Amino acid sequence: MENTIIQTFDLCKIYNPDAVPVHALREVNISVAEGEFTSIVGPSGSGKTTLLNMIGGLDKPTSGRVAIDGKNITGMKDSELIDFRLEHIGFVFQHYNLIPVFTALENVAFIMLLQKRTKKEMDERAKSLLEAVGLGERMDARPAKLSGGQQQRVAVARALASQPRFILADEPTANLDGDSAMNLLDIMEKMNREQNITFIFSTHDQRVIDRARRVITMVDGGIYSDE
Amino acid sequence: MLAAIAIGLWAGVVTVGTMNGMVDQRMNYLIENEITHLQIHHPEYRTERRPTDYIPNHPDILNFLSSDERVKAFAPRTLSDGMLQTPVKTAGVQIRGVDTETERTTTTFHENMTEGDWLDADMRNPVLLGENLARDHNMRIGNRIVLTFEDTSGDLTSAAFNVAGLFRSASTDYDQRTVFVRNNDLNDLLSEEPVYHEIAVMLHDIETAEAVSAELNERFGDIEALTWTQISPELSTIVELGGIMLFIVTGIIMLALAFGILNTMLMALFERMNEIAMLISIGMSRIRVFMMIVLESVILTVTGAAGGLLLAWLSIASLSERGVNFEMFAEGIAELGWDHIVYPVLSPNEYLAILTLVITIALLSSVWPAIKATRIRTS
Repeated sequence: MENTIIQTFDLCKIYNPDAVPVHALREVNISVAEGEFTSIVGPSGSGKTTLLNMIGGLDKPTSGRVAIDGKNITGMKDSELIDFRLEHIGFVFQHYNLIPVFTALENVAFIMLLQKRTKKEMDERAKSLLEAVGLGERMDARPAKLSGGQQQRVAVARALASQPRFILADEPTANLDGDSAMNLLDIMEKMNREQNITFIFSTHDQRVIDRARRVITMVDGGIYSDE
Repeated sequence: MLAAIAIGLWAGVVTVGTMNGMVDQRMNYLIENEITHLQIHHPEYRTERRPTDYIPNHPDILNFLSSDERVKAFAPRTLSDGMLQTPVKTAGVQIRGVDTETERTTTTFHENMTEGDWLDADMRNPVLLGENLARDHNMRIGNRIVLTFEDTSGDLTSAAFNVAGLFRSASTDYDQRTVFVRNNDLNDLLSEEPVYHEIAVMLHDIETAEAVSAELNERFGDIEALTWTQISPELSTIVELGGIMLFIVTGIIMLALAFGILNTMLMALFERMNEIAMLISIGMSRIRVFMMIVLESVILTVTGAAGGLLLAWLSIASLSERGVNFEMFAEGIAELGWDHIVYPVLSPNEYLAILTLVITIALLSSVWPAIKATRIRTS
């Protein structure tokens, strides 16, 4: 596939292999091309989050491998994976996971600090990203002063700050009310459309599924459908 | 946590300062009041205490001391063990014949006078008694006592002395067994020529005591010059014990601090599991996470420690002027020869040492939480 950025090969994950084995993933093979807006859906325990963790290099498969831009990340050492994630992957978590003592601006800039960007570059990019997610007026607010929707928008801006190849979002709308969820989806969809940023969601939120251009359905750790 | 570190350290440092003050005070008191930095005797005087064991060549020694720049002051003393007789009873005493002028410039014993005058009173054969001794013998200023002792010929001699003043030192035992007279008066009774059994020497720097005593021993073969640690091994032991006690107290404070930091950082870590997992997920290396936790511990501890040390410095500065009054234990403390008002003291080096210790403890006790933080799973 042209412009493929993510590929999984016979990905298997078995928890508790020596006692009562739980097959979280069963020979999962998927490819994601640049610019996709993809949802991975399925009931609880179907393996959505496990698959996302494998793609994000947060967990290692029992067998099989994951390639990002053709590079096998499964064999990487932990320290290499951390550096790889910093440069190539953006994360949006269900519970936002912002640093409570930092302002919105600092939360977004922080990841660029890890990338050793200049102060000027960090400030400029963090400001422009916060403006892009509609938080230009709340840059100096700490997470506790922001609504759930606003916090998740800061998290999206943070994920984009490192200029990753793609963004993995684990249930990004699960804790948001209707308006906030729609607003967040609008922003992400706009970025996908205008800037060709690749988004992969794990979700069982119908609003996200409706917006996705590709929906991968998982059942019992395997791919049930890919439309 | 900050308050706990600050208050804990404040209490600990003030305790250390007070103990330090007690030891320093005892040492300074004994040295300045009586022992001085070094003493010169006949080689056998300290064991035999015979009147004939006087310093044989004292003019040469006094000349040497006068010309040595390391010497601040010195006082020759004539000593005798004798019997004090009053109409009430008799008691064994040590008679200390001192030169009023040199003794005043060498020691601070004259500051212990509670009643009457120092020996330069215009009175024939004046004697100073300890308050307790005077009370036991029902003596007042102006009363007469008789001192009996052996002269250098081996004959017993007696003379009447007039009570010119009363003193109270830090030790009730010392006050009970010591009387002071002028060494000229004592010499008139003891020998045909002036004799001295002891020369007390104060130096400009206590650290030079060993060198000066060694030089005296080498230059004047028939004498024994001893430093304060040799004259009073018990004082030396007190100083050493004080050091050990300080070490133990500081150790306990540091141990409590270490557990406090460990507990706080582990609790903080437990609360921040998601945050740290997120940091590792987005690309913060585990070594950076480790450094972050260590740095947080050190900053937290140093901030608390700075507050505690500042508080302790203010407290010690105030208490070193006013003193800590252990009046309720005054009697018992005095029996042991200690003063019941203690002036805490802590040198800048000791503050620095404590701060260094605190930082080291913070570093060490943050290692385990930091290692735990690096092991947080991201999935």
